[in-house]
Amino acid sequence: MYSRFAPSTNRFTAASAVFCSASALAWASTWSFSPASWLERLAWLGGSTLVAAAVVAWLVRSWSSERRLVSHYLSDLATATEDGSSGGPAAVDLPALLRRSAWGPSLEAISAALSKCYDRTEAAEMARTALEIRARRATEEQERTNQILAHLSDPVLVVDSYDELVLANNSASQLLHLDEKSTEQRAINRLIECEKLVEVLTETRRRPNATTRTEEIELRDEEGSSRWFSVTASNMAQANDATESPAAGSIGAVAVMRDVTSQKASQKRHAEFVSAVSHEMKTPLAGIKAYVELLADGDAEDEETREEFLNVINSQADRLQRLIDNMLNLARIEAGVVKVDRQHRALNEILEEAASVVQPSAEKKNITLVSDLSPMYLGVLVDRDMLLQAAINLLSNAIKYTREGGKVTLRSRMNDGEVQLEVEDTGVGLAPEDCKRVFEKFYRVKKDSDMAPGTGLGLPLVKHIIEDVHNGQINVTSRLGEGSTFTVTLPSAGRLG
Amino acid sequence: MSGKRVLLCDDEIHILKAAEFKIRRAGHNVECVGDGELAWEAIQRQLPDVIVTDCQMPRLDGIGLCRRVRSHEHTRHLPMLMLTAKGYELSHEDIVEQLGVLRVVAKPFSPRELLRMVDEILETGRVNPAHASAE
Repeated sequence: MYSRFAPSTNRFTAASAVFCSASALAWASTWSFSPASWLERLAWLGGSTLVAAAVVAWLVRSWSSERRLVSHYLSDLATATEDGSSGGPAAVDLPALLRRSAWGPSLEAISAALSKCYDRTEAAEMARTALEIRARRATEEQERTNQILAHLSDPVLVVDSYDELVLANNSASQLLHLDEKSTEQRAINRLIECEKLVEVLTETRRRPNATTRTEEIELRDEEGSSRWFSVTASNMAQANDATESPAAGSIGAVAVMRDVTSQKASQKRHAEFVSAVSHEMKTPLAGIKAYVELLADGDAEDEETREEFLNVINSQADRLQRLIDNMLNLARIEAGVVKVDRQHRALNEILEEAASVVQPSAEKKNITLVSDLSPMYLGVLVDRDMLLQAAINLLSNAIKYTREGGKVTLRSRMNDGEVQLEVEDTGVGLAPEDCKRVFEKFYRVKKDSDMAPGTGLGLPLVKHIIEDVHNGQINVTSRLGEGSTFTVTLPSAGRLG
Repeated sequence: MSGKRVLLCDDEIHILKAAEFKIRRAGHNVECVGDGELAWEAIQRQLPDVIVTDCQMPRLDGIGLCRRVRSHEHTRHLPMLMLTAKGYELSHEDIVEQLGVLRVVAKPFSPRELLRMVDEILETGRVNPAHASAE
């Protein structure tokens, strides 16, 4: 790249060379004019001129070469500075010839300065790349968080230190109709109608110390239906700001709402159930206590009265016993504590046994109990004891609510590939609204409650056994004053073997 | 016989009979009915001196009967006792304050104690007629 013939340039050398040439030229021209010395003079003149010309040419060439060297070097420096992969300006060697020349110190200074700039630029570039990566990751993190929040089924609300809404996920927007509100309005108390929810958020936000508060609030939709939410609100403090006084409050608050409507309804049903159980148990107990006291006070003056009182005490004690047994039965079956022993059984055998159990109570009321069972083999996969209990409950119910001289019919058949059993009575029947509720726990038809003592658990137990345990169905059809028909449908198990 | 009329109202026949037995033996005239509507009909026929009613009954329950009695000029003054097997959902204080029931008696109850309360009510006279209509 750099010419190996390039000499070191020196102005003094150049000037000396030109001076000598000029002196020789001047000496030759100042001699006295003589024919003999003309030739000598011409020779000296020519020679001097040639030497001077050669020196000048050599000087010019030297300067040009040097200039080219410097130009090349500076060009290489510039390229190396721009092109980071080459290692930068420090990788460009300063030729020894240039280093020794007058250019050397300047060129070395330029190289050093460019190297420093190059290093700083490299460092800045790396820092910029690192920042870009961090920014991209932060953006991705933010995006992921937004997606998570957006897809949360629980409504989430965030307010800032001015109690203005800064974030509401999709669930919150939908629940609180925030999409319908003006996008300019951000004040939480103007966006949300539920004052309790606003109060929970704003009060939590204003607390100076880290606070988490949980409250239950009720919201109503357009139809007036009530929904309950458990709201957990936490304030958000400035991170690592020890100079901020505790009284300054937090930078915002976040509230997460969890729908507890079904939980509340379940609690209410449980409370109602406990109340109903308590009421049902107190009633026979009231009878027992009243008659025991009458006996103790000597109010039964004759033997007949005493016997009557004792019979009442006994029957009420039996009633209490039945209630407790039914409740425990139902509770055990619902809880899955009772082991279900499903075996292939012949339905008619179970129904015949159930009929024989209730026959005495039918005879007592002069009720005709008819068994109209299918001549076909009806195989079912059932727990024998449970199905027997269900059949007995249905038959007992029919007998209870049929007046003296009436009729109860027990049927079985195959219907569309399924096995059916049916209990039909000629009793008091049920109103349509009672048909809907007759399988509810403790529900008893008011007007018929004097017909037969009952716990209100018999039919709920039947329903649970048939539908929940055996995947069957039970329904009732009835005509008030004429009678009812309870129909149970079970999957057929075909014939064994 | 004291000549005083006691109207007993309960859908549980055994409880009705136990209370009737005790109160009748004490010398009072007793009429027994099985629900609130029958009680109102009995009241229309002849005003009793005291009404003892159960809370939970078919057709018209004890609270409904109380409201009806208190909302009519000619029955507003009748003293009433309420028997109940209900639990937390029934506030005895509210029944007493809002319906003018003199006492709410929880079941199981003592027939002896019930008779004592009936005698006390019969001795103290009528209920203050200033109770507002509740129906």
